Amino acid sequence: MTSTATVSAAATEPLAGRGQRPRRGIWSYWRFYLALSPFYVLFAVFGLYPMVSTIVLAFQRWDGLSARRFTGLDNFAFLIQDPTFWTALENTVVLFFMSTVPTLVLALLLAVMLQSAVRFTNVYRIAYFIPNVTSLVAMAIFFSSIFSTNFGLVNAALRSLGIPQQDWLGQPWGIKIAISTMIVWQWVGYNTLIYLAGLQAIPKDQYEAAKVDGAGAVRTFFSITLPQLRPVVLFTVIMSTIGGLQTFTEPQVMVGNSGGTGQSGMTVVLFFYRAAFLDNDYGYAAAIALSIFVLVLLFTAINWRIFRGRGEDR
Amino acid sequence: MELSRRTLLGGFAAVAGGTLVGCSSGMDTGSTTKKNTTTELTMWCWPGGLGKSVLDDTIAHFPDPKIKYSEIGGDFKQKLVTTFNGGTGIPDITGIKGEDIASLLPQASRFVDLKSVGADSVLGDYLEWKVNQATTLDGKVIGLPIDVGPTGLFYREDIFAAAGLPSDPAKVADQLKTWDDYFAAGVQLKAKNPKALLVWDATDLYDMVVGQGTERYISKDNKFIGDQDHIRKAWDTSVKAMTLKIDGKTPSGSPDWNAGLDQGTIPTHIGAAWVALDIKSAVKTSAGKWRLAPTPSGPANFGGSFLAITKNAADPQKAFDVIKYMLSADNEAKAFTDAQIFPSAPAAYDKPELKAADKFFGGQVPIDVFGPAAKSIPVAYQSPYDDSVAAPFHDELKTVQTGSKTSDAAWASAVSKAKAIAKRQGVQ
Repeated sequence: MTSTATVSAAATEPLAGRGQRPRRGIWSYWRFYLALSPFYVLFAVFGLYPMVSTIVLAFQRWDGLSARRFTGLDNFAFLIQDPTFWTALENTVVLFFMSTVPTLVLALLLAVMLQSAVRFTNVYRIAYFIPNVTSLVAMAIFFSSIFSTNFGLVNAALRSLGIPQQDWLGQPWGIKIAISTMIVWQWVGYNTLIYLAGLQAIPKDQYEAAKVDGAGAVRTFFSITLPQLRPVVLFTVIMSTIGGLQTFTEPQVMVGNSGGTGQSGMTVVLFFYRAAFLDNDYGYAAAIALSIFVLVLLFTAINWRIFRGRGEDR
Repeated sequence: MELSRRTLLGGFAAVAGGTLVGCSSGMDTGSTTKKNTTTELTMWCWPGGLGKSVLDDTIAHFPDPKIKYSEIGGDFKQKLVTTFNGGTGIPDITGIKGEDIASLLPQASRFVDLKSVGADSVLGDYLEWKVNQATTLDGKVIGLPIDVGPTGLFYREDIFAAAGLPSDPAKVADQLKTWDDYFAAGVQLKAKNPKALLVWDATDLYDMVVGQGTERYISKDNKFIGDQDHIRKAWDTSVKAMTLKIDGKTPSGSPDWNAGLDQGTIPTHIGAAWVALDIKSAVKTSAGKWRLAPTPSGPANFGGSFLAITKNAADPQKAFDVIKYMLSADNEAKAFTDAQIFPSAPAAYDKPELKAADKFFGGQVPIDVFGPAAKSIPVAYQSPYDDSVAAPFHDELKTVQTGSKTSDAAWASAVSKAKAIAKRQGVQ
């Protein structure tokens, strides 16, 4: 207490001596700003500049090489009446639900199981995390051969069970199942680890108290584990929203740039890629990119409201 | 302290300003073309785009200025476009892929018109239709062709023989003259061997039929003609393969395609000369059982690339000497031995490198099929927007293939989508 008083007194004294300045000017903190500046410089160059130029580009026509031409809201007008955009939007949302819900449920179950496992916990953690660091393109090629019609692993399993084989990558629903299976496979481990960290932060005495009160495993899970995990769940849901709405590599490698049969694997980002790099319509692609931004914002807001919980609502 | 802070801020401002200036000059559309230096001749191509021995020989042949070759992987066109926009580091000589040439023709001002450096003397050595692909409507030639992709019918001799179909290449050529003949053979084959479907993928076949025509989706005077008979004919040919149930629904290059070629469930494939490499690497047991015949209803072209000189080249004349040397008939024949790069100069077809018999094709000489095909490929004008406009036709054809739409409904939807895209691109 005394030392603080001394320091603050010493700090204010010279200022008071000079008289008029009520507080230190913002520039006197320049050392701190300098220390922080690498992030802001990098952000400005690699984050802000591309973002701003994307927004500007969305109001222009540009084929990548000739002069840019300002066209106002033309790109957005075309976007709204483009049937492919609406197909892509619907696919993205459907794929998001088909992949995120199973991912998070599985991850939570695995995390609770891992929490109670005694032996080889680290081995399991590493094993679950490996899919997340594997090359996505390699895995997409691997999965597309697993799901291939005549010589694929899934159909071989179906045949051995006496079920007729399916044309997985040729049917609209088959494409979606194949893509979401791959997303689930990739992200379960990552979310498991995050849940596991959340589980370890829950105080042990709550579980002991529950045990004393005679609560069973299921009751404990729903009354203690789940409510305590709420902020972690919110985090994983938002991360999955951002990732899920940007699905691109899986459909591109599995069914190609057209999005497959009936464009059922066409996601908004794939549509964006096609507009920019195949059709050389960069202005339109920028408009699509902005629509993804709006979509992510919207879904994050919805998730925020659902998962924030009553406790923090005030 | 005050002073140093200001200096520092000034420094930041200078850096930031410099960045902005750099960016805005980069956005300028090529008005600031900085000439490269004369000490080096830079050349870009993609992996496998040029034969290795030809490249080494050319570099040794031109010591001054020294050729600096860079192999650019990934999306080649994208990297080239980005470099053009950046304004620095633009190569003197660059490869251009066949599928990108149409969209780069409107950018002819960024390339040297090869006629201005004396290309007239050599243009006649190359296939005329291929040179036309690199010629703008007002007659500028921006690229010298490296290779072409004439199509042929690859088929399994053993499976044809077992089904009572002709198996000798000459007889196959005689009997499978048109698509109707080909489909009839497919029906006969299926009756004898229900697992063997003659058409690997009917939507792939559609592109072949479009490629056999003299018109595509957009006419020379920039009008949408994708709703006309020539496209509808290709559409109907593809749908016919589906309704005859000889469509294997297996896109080329997929794992099923690879396995099917070897197991005999995909007994034929129609594709460019370079597909031979794909088939060779896909099959293990059926080597030597494959044969080649002309494409039913005539050849088409898939792939094939160009070498172009950019306006940044310090010495366009020297650069032209280099590409002229590289793409001489002799060197194109060598490149074929190097990496199956199929020559664009017909004189190369008579060289011993191309006259060699191929054990994989049972001792058949592939050039006997591809050579005549390359010379008689129909010329069709390809608009810069051709690929974008073609996309809805592919998408909708797939819905017919899976049975979720009738042919007529899918056609109507494809035409209306294609028209919307064409209109957006300024096509009438």
